[in-house]
Amino acid sequence: MAGAAALRRSARRAIRPDEYTFSRTLQHAERLLSSQASPDRGGVLGSELGLYPPERIRNFSIIAHVDHGKSTLADRLLELTGTIKKGHGQPQYLDKLQVERERGITVKAQTATMFYRHAHDESDAPNYLINLIDTPGHVDFSYEVSRSLAACQGALLVVDAAQGVQAQTIANFYLAFESNLSIIPVINKIDQPTADPDNVKVQLKRLFDIDPSEALLTSAKTGQGLSQVLPAVIERIPSPPGKCDSPVRMLLLDSYYDEYKGVICHVAIVDGALHKGDKIASAATGRTYEVLDVGIMHPELTPTGVLYTGQVGYVISGMRSTKEARIGDTLHQAKSTVEPLPGFKPARHMVFSGLYPADGSDFDTLSHAIEKLTCNDASVSVTKETSTALGMGFRCGFLGLLHMDVFHQRLEQEHGAQVISTIPTVPYIFEYGDGSKVQVENPATLASNPGQRIAACWEPTVIATIIIPSEYVGPVIMLCSERRGEQREYTFIDAQRALLKYQLPLREIIVDFYNELKSITSGYATFDYEDSEYQQSDLVKMDILLNGQPVDAMATIVHNQKAQRVGRELVEKLKKFIERQMFEITIQAAIGSKVIARETLSAMRKNVLAKCYGGDITRKKKLLEKQKEGKKRMKRVGSVDIPQEAFHEILKVSNSK
Amino acid sequence: MLRSAFPLVSHLPPRKPPPVRPARPPPVRPYASSAARPSPPPASAYVHLPFCRKRCLYCDFPIVALGSSSSSPVNGEGNDPRIADYVRLLLREVAATRPVSNDGVPLETVFFGGGTPSLVPPRLVAAVLDALRGKFGLSASPEVSIEMDPGTFDAAKLRELVGLGVNRVSLGVQAFQEDLLRACGRAHGLREVHEAVGIVTACEGLQNWSMDLISSLPHQTEEMWEESLRCTVDARPTHVSVYDLQIEQGTKFGQLYTPGVHPLPSETDSANFYKIASKRLSEAGYNHYEISSYCKTGYECKHNVTYWQNRSFYAFGLGSASYINGVRFSRPRRMKEYADWVQKLEIGAWSHEPDSAGMKDMAMDVVMLSLRTAWGLDLRSFSKSFGKSLTVSLCNTFRPFVESGLVIVMDMERRALQPSDFKLDLQYEGEIESKVAFIRLSDPDGFLLSNELISLAFGVIAP
Ligand SMILES: Nc1nc2c(ncn2[C@@H]2O[C@H](COP(=O)(O)OP(=O)(O)O)[C@@H](O)[C@H]2O)c(=O)[nH]1
Ligand SMILES: [Mg+2]
Repeated sequence: MAGAAALRRSARRAIRPDEYTFSRTLQHAERLLSSQASPDRGGVLGSELGLYPPERIRNFSIIAHVDHGKSTLADRLLELTGTIKKGHGQPQYLDKLQVERERGITVKAQTATMFYRHAHDESDAPNYLINLIDTPGHVDFSYEVSRSLAACQGALLVVDAAQGVQAQTIANFYLAFESNLSIIPVINKIDQPTADPDNVKVQLKRLFDIDPSEALLTSAKTGQGLSQVLPAVIERIPSPPGKCDSPVRMLLLDSYYDEYKGVICHVAIVDGALHKGDKIASAATGRTYEVLDVGIMHPELTPTGVLYTGQVGYVISGMRSTKEARIGDTLHQAKSTVEPLPGFKPARHMVFSGLYPADGSDFDTLSHAIEKLTCNDASVSVTKETSTALGMGFRCGFLGLLHMDVFHQRLEQEHGAQVISTIPTVPYIFEYGDGSKVQVENPATLASNPGQRIAACWEPTVIATIIIPSEYVGPVIMLCSERRGEQREYTFIDAQRALLKYQLPLREIIVDFYNELKSITSGYATFDYEDSEYQQSDLVKMDILLNGQPVDAMATIVHNQKAQRVGRELVEKLKKFIERQMFEITIQAAIGSKVIARETLSAMRKNVLAKCYGGDITRKKKLLEKQKEGKKRMKRVGSVDIPQEAFHEILKVSNSK
Repeated sequence: MLRSAFPLVSHLPPRKPPPVRPARPPPVRPYASSAARPSPPPASAYVHLPFCRKRCLYCDFPIVALGSSSSSPVNGEGNDPRIADYVRLLLREVAATRPVSNDGVPLETVFFGGGTPSLVPPRLVAAVLDALRGKFGLSASPEVSIEMDPGTFDAAKLRELVGLGVNRVSLGVQAFQEDLLRACGRAHGLREVHEAVGIVTACEGLQNWSMDLISSLPHQTEEMWEESLRCTVDARPTHVSVYDLQIEQGTKFGQLYTPGVHPLPSETDSANFYKIASKRLSEAGYNHYEISSYCKTGYECKHNVTYWQNRSFYAFGLGSASYINGVRFSRPRRMKEYADWVQKLEIGAWSHEPDSAGMKDMAMDVVMLSLRTAWGLDLRSFSKSFGKSLTVSLCNTFRPFVESGLVIVMDMERRALQPSDFKLDLQYEGEIESKVAFIRLSDPDGFLLSNELISLAFGVIAP
């Protein structure tokens, strides 16, 4: 892609906003949509797609800090090109998941194809095919972002005109920059009374060396400035490179499982053309498939029968499971050998947590739900594990905290699974006296009293970027140092805002860091992080014991200096959430055989129904049955019943307060 | 003459021989009658007389509050037409009920509960008794109990009732403190309590009566509770019922109070009240034969024993619950719906659905009821009805509590076994029956945690 840079720059030229019209585009779009009803129209569409050689194609993404208006802008562009009807359907069209709508975030990158007329030739037919790839804003999903970016030649960098550059703006800018994309700065929400586009321009110049004259000013709300956006895309973003006359070669961008259609792959055609009926092969697995259906996302799946060089669309080829569809894989013409395309940076699992069925009986439900969900979220790693306290479950690896949260939420909302998750942990590395090393993804698997001396331990760190109004610098520095952070950078991005970079142990930010940061900065801080290297650290395993029995699901690895405090907090919390039982319960936190915190819960004194109830025993029986059900919901360690809430609650114990 | 026919006495010294078996054959254990054998026909009847002057603030029973009225505090309400109307309805229900057996098993016990049955004029009580006698027959010496509240009867009324065949009175005193009586909205005061106790103890032909008390009332102190128990012992009833206040939803108390929170006693205090009662009454020679029941030897309430032995019984009246042919049925709790139901019964449009109360339900009933008693659970017959493996699981579940003293295991002779014997037995499944014959909850600690222990057992029976 290196050679494309020069091309890209030459494509940049100023254009006038009134140079195009889109009424013809609307008609065209309607035709495309109506063709969905009749599959035979694929050929017709296919011939239309043939009208768009690579130089008439643009593939771009929108990247932004969360809430800066990326999804809204995407909606406007889809409306502008008639891809969706104005005012119809839900806003943020591409945010399809319930969790996305609820949290206002984008988790899965979505793609849509638009047809657009750019008036630099005489005809009034649409003359450009533009693929818009929406990306998640959050760093946890940078995997998704880089996936999307691999199919793009350019990106709109959206910045809120009032908020200015925020932590994720920076992270996303660098992802795009490293992918060699042409970047079009878009200063959005200029309708807001507090909008200060000039200040944002200064920030862009200072942080990214972006020429202020390049910035587009828009309001996705009022429509102001939107007409400049697609012309800029066409003018400033190069067309996809690729050889039209070579055998077909495509990048597998994403895949998901559809109950009716089977595995659906999103692909970017790099070379050649893909036709329905073609035989294709996977470079990764060597398996071959027949193309059963091929088309574009317009924005729904729209069969076209063909995709040409530079185009982005979907392929259905009879794959049984998304496991066969490896993201980043190269699919190519069968029986020809091709050079595989460079794949993506593989996902790194940095946060691990055990997931268990919340009601003992439905392990199968959970298992099924996880399988379904990972079908469409290949970025989660899953292995079976067993806990004495919680029974059979899974150890899942996530890209980050939000990723974990979103996964939980999707399990519950989309698959109706109720889960207990254990305290999230990071992958530690322990080295023994004999030089052997283990990576620990589940603290319970580390021996509490190892036969061997532990020679050293390492923990993963991150580089955190925090942007805050300057008056909050003091408290934030305090917080970071409490969390064992080391300052790497401290600059001002404009007159009021400071940028701090810290190297922090990942462990310190996975629980409660962001909330804490938000609360000490009245919500003004934005925060993002990227993985950094492992650092040596003084770590210990802490066990929680109930009446002397360790609760494996509550074991945790902590920094030696914090063990005492974390132990106290955990033990106190448990005392609150474990109910009194027919015997006294001692709750202890211990490192090896040394108890560092202890509480006792005295025995229950009385639970009796001594009432005159005549012969009516049914109500009384119901009461006892309810009590029995209550016990059933508990998790038992030794003879101690632990309510499920206790597992949820101890997740909230911060490790640094 | 009122000696218990059932081997409920549990306060046997460890080495005493087993209690004398009753002359009459003991009733067939109903739970031994699971699928194949039909349960024996009822020999007990409960009659609900729902009228009260006013609703006590803790009460969630199906009652009809008459409102305080009229001239005589004792017999004023007797002429309230609502009572006569209700009794007519009740008689219709009795008339429409088909006896379970044709070979005429007479009633051994009749229990008039309420409400405040003592508000009902004796002639109406007589009418009900006559109807029952006509329909089912009464045995030679049945136990006929009636609940009476202080201030609702005089010596003449009681004499009249005794003349009708009533031979057991359950006196709803509840407390011996004026303030407490007022706080729980009782219709009577302390003066009425003393009068009533006087009337009952002086009544010729009435040997068997129960003093009913409530513990854990709001503002109740340990001193007050000790005082109530002292007064109770001094009155020398043959039976004492000690109920523990339950805060029920939908009652005034439910709105006002939270269990364990002032002015209600704390959990610890409330447990202490229970222990004090157990201690004081035992010292005074009462047997703690059921969680909330104490009696002088031989004076168990036979009617209630029917419930705890899971035997069948008839019931008549508003909201009352019967257990016939293995089916538990609760009548409507509202008068209008009850009346409609009686009509259905009369025209044959209603019958006890032979509901298939499964084995599990049956086993739960047996465990729940028998563990309330000092007699406890008879493991051999339980095992016979529900299988050895369930019995073993049950024992396993209780084992830690045998060790901690909440549960007591006994041999055939009702001698307590050491926890270590119990362990040993369980290692050889076949041996359970030979050595461990009974399981009971200890008094007072096991009784105090009976809900916990019984629900544990439920978890074993219906996981
Ligand atoms: N005032 C104003 N609000 C906007 C504009 N664009 C988006 N918003 C609002 O900003 C919020 C976040 O927008 P969204 O598109 O979900 O942001 P995303 O997280 O970057 O996808 C939503 O409430 C939008 O309605 C704009 O130009 N002006
Ligand atoms: Mg969005």
